[in-house]
Amino acid sequence: MKRRDFFKTAAVMGAATLGSSAFGSEVKIQQPIDNRPISKFNFPEKRPMITHSDRPPLLESTRDVFTQAITPNDEFFVRWHMPEIPTYTDPEKFTISVNGLVQKEYVISLKDLKNDFEQVEVTAVLQCGGNSRSAFLPTTGGVLWGSGAMGCAKWKGVRLSDLLHRAGLKEGAQWIGFNGMETAAYYKTPGFVRELHLDELDDHVIVAYQMNGEDLPYLNGYPVRLILPGYYSDSWVKMLKNITVTSEYQHHFFMDEAYRVPDNATESEMPDHLAKKTKPITKMNIKSVIGFPEDNSTIAMNSQLVVRGVAFDSGIGIKDVLISLDGGKTWESSILDNEARGRYAYRAFRFSFKPKTLGKLEIMAKAVDKFGHEQPFAKNVLWNRGGYKYNGIDVVTVEVV
Amino acid sequence: MTKIILITLLALTPLFAQVKENIEVPYVAYPIKMGKGFDQVNGNCLMCHSFGYILNQGPQPRAFWKAKIHKMIDAFKAPISDEDAKIVEDYLATYYGNGK
Ligand code: HEC
Repeated sequence: MKRRDFFKTAAVMGAATLGSSAFGSEVKIQQPIDNRPISKFNFPEKRPMITHSDRPPLLESTRDVFTQAITPNDEFFVRWHMPEIPTYTDPEKFTISVNGLVQKEYVISLKDLKNDFEQVEVTAVLQCGGNSRSAFLPTTGGVLWGSGAMGCAKWKGVRLSDLLHRAGLKEGAQWIGFNGMETAAYYKTPGFVRELHLDELDDHVIVAYQMNGEDLPYLNGYPVRLILPGYYSDSWVKMLKNITVTSEYQHHFFMDEAYRVPDNATESEMPDHLAKKTKPITKMNIKSVIGFPEDNSTIAMNSQLVVRGVAFDSGIGIKDVLISLDGGKTWESSILDNEARGRYAYRAFRFSFKPKTLGKLEIMAKAVDKFGHEQPFAKNVLWNRGGYKYNGIDVVTVEVV
Repeated sequence: MTKIILITLLALTPLFAQVKENIEVPYVAYPIKMGKGFDQVNGNCLMCHSFGYILNQGPQPRAFWKAKIHKMIDAFKAPISDEDAKIVEDYLATYYGNGK
């Protein structure tokens, strides 16, 4: 095929991709896929996890991980977009550069990062915008995650604002672009670059080199990554290498086309009637996930069962996690852990009861925030073509024997 | 004894990387089905990601696979000829289709 034709065809097909042809039109939301096996072996610094892909690595945590308010580093999910990731970074030589529309561009070593600035910590949930995507029918674009593309860790590093302050923003500075070290296999594939508007950045945004008191695992972005508490993880750039300040938005594929939802009040659309305007996914909505018991497990009748799980939102604050044992007709409060880890962290919940009847039992968990926002039933979650922001009420079904 | 001393020293070094050498990401042999068109799938769909990406999607309608292939070409600039795109589509509809 001639080059020209190639692009002509590509453009036409591109339009078709965004049209309705690929989707059925009947929207149905189910529980996210919850029965995928863990792999038989481990990835570097990880325990065996659900392994959607080795190249680039896509590792998902299993449900049992969500009984803990802090996700252990070796069970923390892994998500890269590009197949080429550096497999070794020399911490003595690694530098980050700060450049663009600033008074003084500079590069900084890891050591100086740790010595020249105030060191700060924040405990925050890291969740992929496409977490639980497998709930959406018809199938949307993207990797079909179960609910394990999330975790919560204590991150330590320095404030992004301090790094920018050292450079000094020039007049007109509006956007900050972040680049990591992952690269595409093919030179024409757009790189994974994120851009954030200055208004979106506050002092909670940090450049972190530590996760739960240890160096970041390689697969979670060693040696440094961006931490944006309350935001979905697409902008938490891993192996952060470059920070560029600009006056204009730069337009990158992964900004313009991916990690976006319909720009309307319900952020939803129909498969045969897609929204014309979209916007970035940005802040997380309220969600909770049951860690124990597991779906399809067996529970003894009349013995005390402690349901455990985690709940979080974008930082508004969880007020309550309610449990239902009758299909959502009645709800009872669970016991929440204290708020000591701050408003961006998981709140762990527990709910204790004795199952009294034999047979199938459905356990549901629903989080409510301080403004009264609560999770919808799965069947009421609205569809979007990217399968983003699923937050339906979690359900596990056990067999009481 | 020497081992213990070594570990303590390293732990005191502020720039200690937990992994001091190349990490090695294991290779996963995803169980992709063999059949007509597999050569084209192998030749066109393995450049940027593993077959895990295909398997993760589960059985899907032909139109879904067709759109997916063209997303690769259009958005990610996958260099796939029209001819191969059709063969890959047939393969995916046959082996990873859902009858629609
Ligand atoms: C030029 C690089 C490239 C080639 C070649 C390529 N892909 Fe992709 N593919 C991508 C990228 C980039 C993504 C998105 C990666 C991510 O988000 O993790 C992707 C994602 C996917 C996904 C996940 C679903 C989605 O909507 O993101 C599937 C399925 C997929 N590709 C199938 C294929 C098939 C089938 C072929 C062969 C016809 C193919 N790919 C060839 C780059 C490529």
